[in-house]
Amino acid sequence: MPISRRDFLKASALVAAIPAGTHPLLARFGRAGDPVPALADPALEELAGRALDAAHSAGATYADVRLTRTMSRIVRPRAVGDQEQLAVGVRALADGYWGFASGPVWSADEMARLGAEAVHEARVNAIGGAAVTELAPAAAVPKGHWVMPVEIDPFAVSPLEIADYLQSLAIFTARIPHAEVWSNQCAFTMQEKVYASTVGSYCTQRTYLSQGELVLQVRKNDRVTRLAVDLLSPAGVGWELYRHQPLHEAIRRTVAEAEEDLSLPVKPVDVGRYDAVFSAPDVANLLHQTLAPATQLDRALGEEANAGGTSYLNRPFEMLGQYQVGASALTVTGNRSERGGCATVQWDDDGVAPEEFTLVKDGVLVDFQTTRESAAWMKDYYAKIGKPVRSHGCASAESAIDAPLQTTPNLVMHPGREALDFDALVSGLEQGIAVKGAQLNMDFQHLNGLGAGGRVYEVKRGKRVAMIAGAGFLFRAPELWKGLRAVGGRASVRRVGMASMKGEPGQQSVASVTAPPTVFAQLTVIDPLRRA
Amino acid sequence: MRLDGVMRLLEARQRLLSQAECEALAARARQAAVGGGKTSVNVDSWWAGALRWGRNRVRLASDRRDVSISVVRAIHEHAAGRASTNQIDDVSLVNLVRAAERDARLFGVRALPEDLPLHAPWFTFPATRIWSDATYDLTAEERGAAARALLEPARAAGMQSAGFLEVRAREWGGFPDGGQPCYARQTLAQCSMTVRDPEETGSGWAGATSFDWRAIDTQALAKRALEKCLASRHPVALEPGRYTVVLEPQAVYDLVVRITWSREEAEHGRGPFVAGADGALGIVRTKLGLKVVDERITISHDPADPELGVMPFTHETGEPVRPVTWVDHGVPTMLSDRREYALTTRTDNLGTPDSRSFRMSGGTTTVDEMVASTKRGLLVTRFSNVNVLDRSTLMATGLTRDGVWLIENGKITKAVKNFRFTESPLFVLNQVEQLGPPVPVFGLPGAPAIVPPLKVRDFSFTSLADAV
Repeated sequence: MPISRRDFLKASALVAAIPAGTHPLLARFGRAGDPVPALADPALEELAGRALDAAHSAGATYADVRLTRTMSRIVRPRAVGDQEQLAVGVRALADGYWGFASGPVWSADEMARLGAEAVHEARVNAIGGAAVTELAPAAAVPKGHWVMPVEIDPFAVSPLEIADYLQSLAIFTARIPHAEVWSNQCAFTMQEKVYASTVGSYCTQRTYLSQGELVLQVRKNDRVTRLAVDLLSPAGVGWELYRHQPLHEAIRRTVAEAEEDLSLPVKPVDVGRYDAVFSAPDVANLLHQTLAPATQLDRALGEEANAGGTSYLNRPFEMLGQYQVGASALTVTGNRSERGGCATVQWDDDGVAPEEFTLVKDGVLVDFQTTRESAAWMKDYYAKIGKPVRSHGCASAESAIDAPLQTTPNLVMHPGREALDFDALVSGLEQGIAVKGAQLNMDFQHLNGLGAGGRVYEVKRGKRVAMIAGAGFLFRAPELWKGLRAVGGRASVRRVGMASMKGEPGQQSVASVTAPPTVFAQLTVIDPLRRA
Repeated sequence: MRLDGVMRLLEARQRLLSQAECEALAARARQAAVGGGKTSVNVDSWWAGALRWGRNRVRLASDRRDVSISVVRAIHEHAAGRASTNQIDDVSLVNLVRAAERDARLFGVRALPEDLPLHAPWFTFPATRIWSDATYDLTAEERGAAARALLEPARAAGMQSAGFLEVRAREWGGFPDGGQPCYARQTLAQCSMTVRDPEETGSGWAGATSFDWRAIDTQALAKRALEKCLASRHPVALEPGRYTVVLEPQAVYDLVVRITWSREEAEHGRGPFVAGADGALGIVRTKLGLKVVDERITISHDPADPELGVMPFTHETGEPVRPVTWVDHGVPTMLSDRREYALTTRTDNLGTPDSRSFRMSGGTTTVDEMVASTKRGLLVTRFSNVNVLDRSTLMATGLTRDGVWLIENGKITKAVKNFRFTESPLFVLNQVEQLGPPVPVFGLPGAPAIVPPLKVRDFSFTSLADAV
């Protein structure tokens, strides 16, 4: 009889209840019967302590250790794939330099090896003279346990049930005239993490990330279009992503939208400057590709110069409190606490409980994304404005195999006061364009961008009257955001999960971006395929 | 016996699983199988020692490793499931096999061809040069010393340096049930650095990858990145438009690597190698055999090429990598198939190498000679953030990065601000004026490429990008 994941979890839980022996851990390779302990098991605290002790005795002035267990599952209507990974990573500060060591083995001996190795790495690489690495103060978390609140744990649902549900969506779609499913799959990740540091923190948390892809193909009058159902973007939720959202209604709405597109006449690009309405997910993407990376302090100072690049906010300390990044209607905050956010955690990978903070206030740059280390670089500015030096809690890593980086938190662009949505913004436009689903290509300072693909509409007297085939647009980030003419209201905002790469070796992180639809003034519209 | 291999992984010095250890793991997984059928096992372990720096200071030095075991359980031809873990104790292995069996039974439909173990005749794997003890044995101390040498010239010149140095090793063992096992170890070394001036007006870059750490000339990299930075400072803005360009090998690579050779795409009427529909036969004709680029261009891959070391078999599926010539004197002669498509159409086309690893033919004109023969043009270091916008022409956009210079009357006269380009690698390879000697470039780790510099006319720069 096949063993379901539910049985598997149940079995693990049972074995976990057996008192820990001399070899309490499954991950001691080659030994039978040692289960992965539950997150609350004191054996884990003991294990983490081993790593910290080893780093401390080797001479670390600070060290932290993370143990992660990551499960991921991809489900398609007729297939499922499972992956599981255990990892441990120790980070140590010695002589002012960081060292890091990681591996897949959870055992007391391995903790000791990694603790010592991390310090060794730091020591032999102490290049550039004796360095002072200051960490912004952070309160110790003596015993913290947190589980991301999800309604249905996706790993407690049979993958067959999930696959059948995906099938049912395909059947539902096929009953709608002109429509069929083009692609249909979903992915779930659960990560359990133990974090401990030499400042006396010990905390555990479990987080989830769920996402789906449901692309519909609609044919009408010899024309074909493909549109994705928009409710399935990555989020810090469980299987309720599918079960508790009105997907049937969303499918009908998506098909109707596709049919409307197919009934519009198609026009070639008329190059020029136009006022442009952007849909809420497009505004979220613009934020994600401009201000999100540009307000990472390490990037702005040049730490990422050899990887993804630097930032157009390249004089961070002169620009803070002064630099106009956008129109006064632009206010952007960061958080890692919103329910369902992809970057939501209780503690970051520095052991800091993140707080909500403002990056851009009324169009002016007022802060940067920080970790404990980069927050300390901000101390003069914080002293000037009378704020305590405190990390915004933006340290994270994919798993304990990788060292923490500063990554983007969940971002929220504040909506406008008037109750306007995308259609209302379009109706307010005498002449211009409307943009949905554009792909962006940015430069390595996130300054100059090109948008292409997606759907671009011609707008005349408040109505979308045609689709412009192959239209694209060019922009410079500061001018774009300064050209913000109108901002949609509270009910018009959408949240989108956005992935980005950073660092060397590259790591992916995912954050939610919430934004309203907007109108930008005088956007440069081009034919992106046209050579000079 | 069972503990032997896995316990040794705990030791700091042995960072990869041996062939015997992988075989033992595969045998253990097979023992755990219930319900007949076939159990194929892949074992992948890796180690990486790396060092990253920014603003003239080492930011992080690290030692990382991991392992992955994946199992494909094909209970019968119409039911296969797969699962993977990084835990290799008995309980984890049993659970892994059960998970794959559960998936096979739950989804008892046609298995994907990539999940079916190969029943091909036994083959010989090509001998490839991919292992270097010098890479594997490079200690943290030696990595530190190398970084010091890389950092120092930039700092002494008052510039800001950021970079990454990594040595890496991996083994991959594939144990198809009833098929031919394969096992190989590979080392990878990479080093790249960016030097910027404190006023943020100039940026220079240099990078190299090789399986052999000794092939990476760190001094030359440090010198080159610094020189590029110094020479690229205070650039002037030029009008976008069409320019004759001298593309350094890295810039050529950044474009040519976007060419993918998918037969499936072409036969479905998509992609750059569609010649048109043949109404009479009801098929789509591909451009195989038609001249598509300059006849001086040949792009090929030979796994036995000592400079092009790649794994001797394809990842995940374990077929021997075959030598191919994608383009022979301007004429495409080969398209690649993913395994699933090959198995449904032509099984003789299995084992085509990763198209991102290639050797491109060149000529004898050096970059200096190309510059000297140019009346007005631009010298380009490399391209960044390249995206293909149109699959049918491979029309792409992206940016120049880390140094563009104006050439006037055979001399480099000034640094120029970056441009956004709109150009297709296929157009570029049709507008070649001169070719230089091919050299190794900074490719994806494990996918080396040997590429010449090119002088190309009418390269299309569509807008100014004032990013540095």
